[in-house]
Amino acid sequence: EKWAATRVKYPPSILALRHFDSTYSIQLGKLWPSVRVALLSERKYGALLNNFAHHAVLTDLDAQGCCRDFIGDAYTQIQPCLEKESEVVAEEESISVSTKKSDSDSQQPSPLQLSLNIKCLVFPRGDITKFKPARPDTKRLLSHYLMDAASVLPCLALNVRGGHNVLDLCAAPGGKALALLQTHSIGFLCVNDNSASRTTRLRKVLQSYIPKELLTDEKIRITSFDGTQWGQIERNTFDRVLVDVPCTTDRHSLMEDDNNIFSKNRTGERRRLPEVQTELLLAGILAACRGGEILYSTCTLSQIQNMSVVEQAIYLAKENHGIQLQVVDLRALTQMFRKTFDFAPDLPLGEMVIPHLAANFGPIYMCKLRRIT
Amino acid sequence: AQSTQSNRSELTPLSRQTVPELSLQSLLDMGFTDLQAEQISDSVSKLRGTSAARHALSTLTALFVLGLNPSSVLKLLEKCPDLYTFKESMLQQRVGNLRKLGLGEGSLQRVVAYCPDILTVPVKTIKHVVVFLREKCLFTVQQVTDILRESPAVVLENRSQLEYKFQYVYFRMGVKQAEMVKSKLFRFPLDEVRCRHCFLERRGLYETPDKKGQTLIINPKLESVLNVDEDTFLSDVAMASTEEYEVFKRLMARECLEEERQVDAESDD
Ligand SMILES: C[S@@+](CC[C@H](N)C(=O)[O-])C[C@H]1O[C@@H](n2cnc3c(N)ncnc32)[C@H](O)[C@@H]1O
Repeated sequence: EKWAATRVKYPPSILALRHFDSTYSIQLGKLWPSVRVALLSERKYGALLNNFAHHAVLTDLDAQGCCRDFIGDAYTQIQPCLEKESEVVAEEESISVSTKKSDSDSQQPSPLQLSLNIKCLVFPRGDITKFKPARPDTKRLLSHYLMDAASVLPCLALNVRGGHNVLDLCAAPGGKALALLQTHSIGFLCVNDNSASRTTRLRKVLQSYIPKELLTDEKIRITSFDGTQWGQIERNTFDRVLVDVPCTTDRHSLMEDDNNIFSKNRTGERRRLPEVQTELLLAGILAACRGGEILYSTCTLSQIQNMSVVEQAIYLAKENHGIQLQVVDLRALTQMFRKTFDFAPDLPLGEMVIPHLAANFGPIYMCKLRRIT
Repeated sequence: AQSTQSNRSELTPLSRQTVPELSLQSLLDMGFTDLQAEQISDSVSKLRGTSAARHALSTLTALFVLGLNPSSVLKLLEKCPDLYTFKESMLQQRVGNLRKLGLGEGSLQRVVAYCPDILTVPVKTIKHVVVFLREKCLFTVQQVTDILRESPAVVLENRSQLEYKFQYVYFRMGVKQAEMVKSKLFRFPLDEVRCRHCFLERRGLYETPDKKGQTLIINPKLESVLNVDEDTFLSDVAMASTEEYEVFKRLMARECLEEERQVDAESDD
């Protein structure tokens, strides 16, 4: 009776699984079983290198085996065609790449620019080695931050450079903010999260990774506002806005019953997610300046929380605020990193890393918008 | 600690002579070829103590009485040289016990040839296994015979492992006794059973039945999960790539190890 007795009737993780089975089997079709088994198995991490820390992290981590900086690797691989086709223009702080599918598509996507200096180590496809926990250096800064390596992609895609004014609207616990800071290209960074406890954690994370002299009021501001109301505070201000919204956090919901958004008493909150996400994205759009870029990201596979939200926000920006937006093509990015991640094929809007046992990162959805007006 | 390898081989001709019954000629008379006869006296002489040599002849006789031919006798003795050292009466008793458990002549031969180690197991131990299968797992007499015939190694398996495997398949996979027998479940190590099952389960292709035995999806038969090679399992049942399953096996091994460690840690305090 061992097996039967210990099973709670419907723990939230089981409810989440049922929900995903019914929606994702339709949305992903034949891919779903592969994604499902990956979601239910141990995930892979990436080690975001802290280039503010001083000791030799690389050699320390290298000793563990054959992990490599997947970003640097991808750059080296596009380097040859960089010279030949001169499509890729390396600037001081960013690099631009374009898909080089010559004839097929008539509308050549404009070259995509990516932030430089972000380094993230991963173990190769199929390798399940785990990273060691980070160690503090002589100044008590930690060497690396373990996070989903796919979470780095939205930061790369945001293409921060030249002293940009950057807003991270939903920032806690701070992995993406850390990645953005690695670019050394931010003029001023606003990190916000409406949860006070999570903001406290965010502050701790920043203090463990970023030198004190860079955490001054002139360089960084940590707040706990309701992000949906940001439009009331500061409009048309930021060059770059990251809108990394709360979502059904698919992986977490399947693996942990604590703090699970599929618990019965959080049904309302879960149902309201797309609405809140749309409001947050819209607030992010309003906060961006003209020509500014907004990156929307989630860690769910849900179409309703991903593409539908972006569509709705684009529509509302136009209708209610007269703001014209352009969707930035990220195909160059998926091309570049397809050795490290599995991307969902043929998404009509944005790009999505889908989990696979051999490359068990994600899910991460991202869509980049540029304000025209 | 008495003699080194080389010493012993020097002694070989001597010890051969001390066992007149097992002369090369007598082996040839039993139907072994020259080469086979050499091999047998070689391995007998390598066994320490004289009892081996003394019992070798009766062992051979007992195996011939079972109806095995010389080459299968040789093969099985190579797999399990311990058999040379057993008293004839003991072997007879064990064989008799297996007969009583329902293994007829044909199957008895096959079982002994396939798993000669079964003859090294005391009658009492086999009785315990049979009682366990009957009373704890509720297999019928016939099913127990089938299990012994198809998966004789079951009697060698660690009891708690065996119990865990049964419970796993019965409760977690919702498989009944008849199907377990049909799928030759006890031939497969627990790890393999669990790995294939969990893989299917996480892919959404296998579901534990509820109290009424119902599932939302149709589970594949245990037979088609276990009794096929890995490629067939992947292409026909799991519909997955080899790459995925390779990684999954490694992940499962680590998961199980970590679970065990956790259990150990908990029972420590
Ligand atoms: C996906 S997490 C952000 C993860 C973070 N960007 C990182 O990379 O570490 C979403 C965050 O949004 C916050 N949040 C939820 N509703 C919010 C709101 N209305 N305004 C601002 N933040 C909100 C949550 O507290 C949560 O920390």
